[in-house]
Amino acid sequence: MDTVLEATDLTKHYEDFSLRGVSLAIRAGSISGIFGPNAAGKSTLLKVLAGQAPTHQGSVQVFGSAYADAEQDLKNRIGYVPQEPVFYPDKAVQWLARFSAPYFARWDGAGFYRLLDEFKVNPLKKVKHLSGGQKKLLSIAMALSHGAELLILDEPTAGLDVVHRRALLDRLRAFVADGDKTVLAASHITDGLDEIAEEIWFLDDGRVVAHEDKDDLLARWKWVHFKDGALPKAIEEGLVRVKRLPFGSSGLTGDFLNLRGALAGPLASGDVRLDNATLEDVLLSFIKGA
Amino acid sequence: MDPILRRSSFYYVTSLLMYMSLMGRYMLTRDWPVFEIMPLFVPVWILGGLFASESDECYAFLRTLPVPDRRVARTKFTLILSIVAVQWLLMIGAALTRMDEGIAEPSTLVYVTVTCAFALLAAAGYQIAVWRFGLSTMKPVLGVSIAAGIVMAIIHLASLKKVDDWPALSRLGVVEWLGGAPWISCAILVAVALLAYRALMRVGVRVKASSEAHL
Repeated sequence: MDTVLEATDLTKHYEDFSLRGVSLAIRAGSISGIFGPNAAGKSTLLKVLAGQAPTHQGSVQVFGSAYADAEQDLKNRIGYVPQEPVFYPDKAVQWLARFSAPYFARWDGAGFYRLLDEFKVNPLKKVKHLSGGQKKLLSIAMALSHGAELLILDEPTAGLDVVHRRALLDRLRAFVADGDKTVLAASHITDGLDEIAEEIWFLDDGRVVAHEDKDDLLARWKWVHFKDGALPKAIEEGLVRVKRLPFGSSGLTGDFLNLRGALAGPLASGDVRLDNATLEDVLLSFIKGA
Repeated sequence: MDPILRRSSFYYVTSLLMYMSLMGRYMLTRDWPVFEIMPLFVPVWILGGLFASESDECYAFLRTLPVPDRRVARTKFTLILSIVAVQWLLMIGAALTRMDEGIAEPSTLVYVTVTCAFALLAAAGYQIAVWRFGLSTMKPVLGVSIAAGIVMAIIHLASLKKVDDWPALSRLGVVEWLGGAPWISCAILVAVALLAYRALMRVGVRVKASSEAHL
């Protein structure tokens, strides 16, 4: 599959935070999720990938070009939704559309107003009178209304009610359905994007701490619940996030595929039980100090 | 018309119209030292327009649009240049109409050109500083600069009227000397100012692209 976005050794320093040597490649037609705790660097990384902020080191290639060479073309092909969208506060939503339309090569005005209608955002309302969720929806509507081939979304479901969140997730699935378009979204784990993401990047303290296909990742991470003494010592010592409970213990393993054989006996005895791990469980095991 | 230019021009054109309706009226009707004082307000007015325009700007949104930063920077610089050029032309026109009365002299043309060149370069410097350090940082600096400009012009005006040997800037030796051949002097001053402005615009384009303080 083609790579639509490739970042190499991205480094960016702020006073109190650094993005350090991040490299990633995003496949065309995929939904990729960047997950991580607060201040992990997700928003900074997306800003750099979307051409919103320069880096101190490293390179970003989108559709084979760098922003320095083809900023206008690339921004026509990318729909970017920032974590906290900013618009001219004293202007009405429809004014923003009129203002922005001439800059986009493939602006779909009718599609934009259809989305506003679907998202229940009044085009006559001034931006300063919109709620945080409505501003997010407005930003999403703009990103979806100019023929973008790559959506870069920073916590797109944050602040949305359950109906709009579900509608957005369905729309993102539909967006990539034909295989040509791609979604890259950063998020906290529990807001629904973890359901639709196919490829997962975990970010912590400005670094990529894990990257894997979601199905592969979840296949090898399992909760192991066991009675004391029921697990071979080597396996027990390899568990993370171990919790001692009155009726036994639980721990997480990221090596389930290799331990299957060794666990067959204890599982058959009934003293050991397995549960699927969630992405949140896995993320917590990667985060320092969690 | 480019939407960014149309939107930004509102504040500059408004400040120009205000300037010409207030100050221009004085220049056409009042006597000395009107051409000594009124040009001093040009930098103040331009900075006022810049202040208002930047306060209402939303660069974070513009950066999400397919508009290269250099185009945004050049639009802003072009706008400042256009407004100063119009202001300069109108003041030169006003001075020429008052030469027969002796209210304006050839050196007045040079003086007007110098003040406009200063306003142009100061506005460019402040625009770059806003991009580099952000408007919230630059707001007090801009505010103090505007207030200082007004106070200095008023003190200068009062001193010219009350203090016998208070020096008139438009009658300084070098201005008088350049006024000996006013059109040649003005052409050279304009050329130098434009070259310096072009250099500042290049710096501005780079600063705008590399900075996030204004977003």
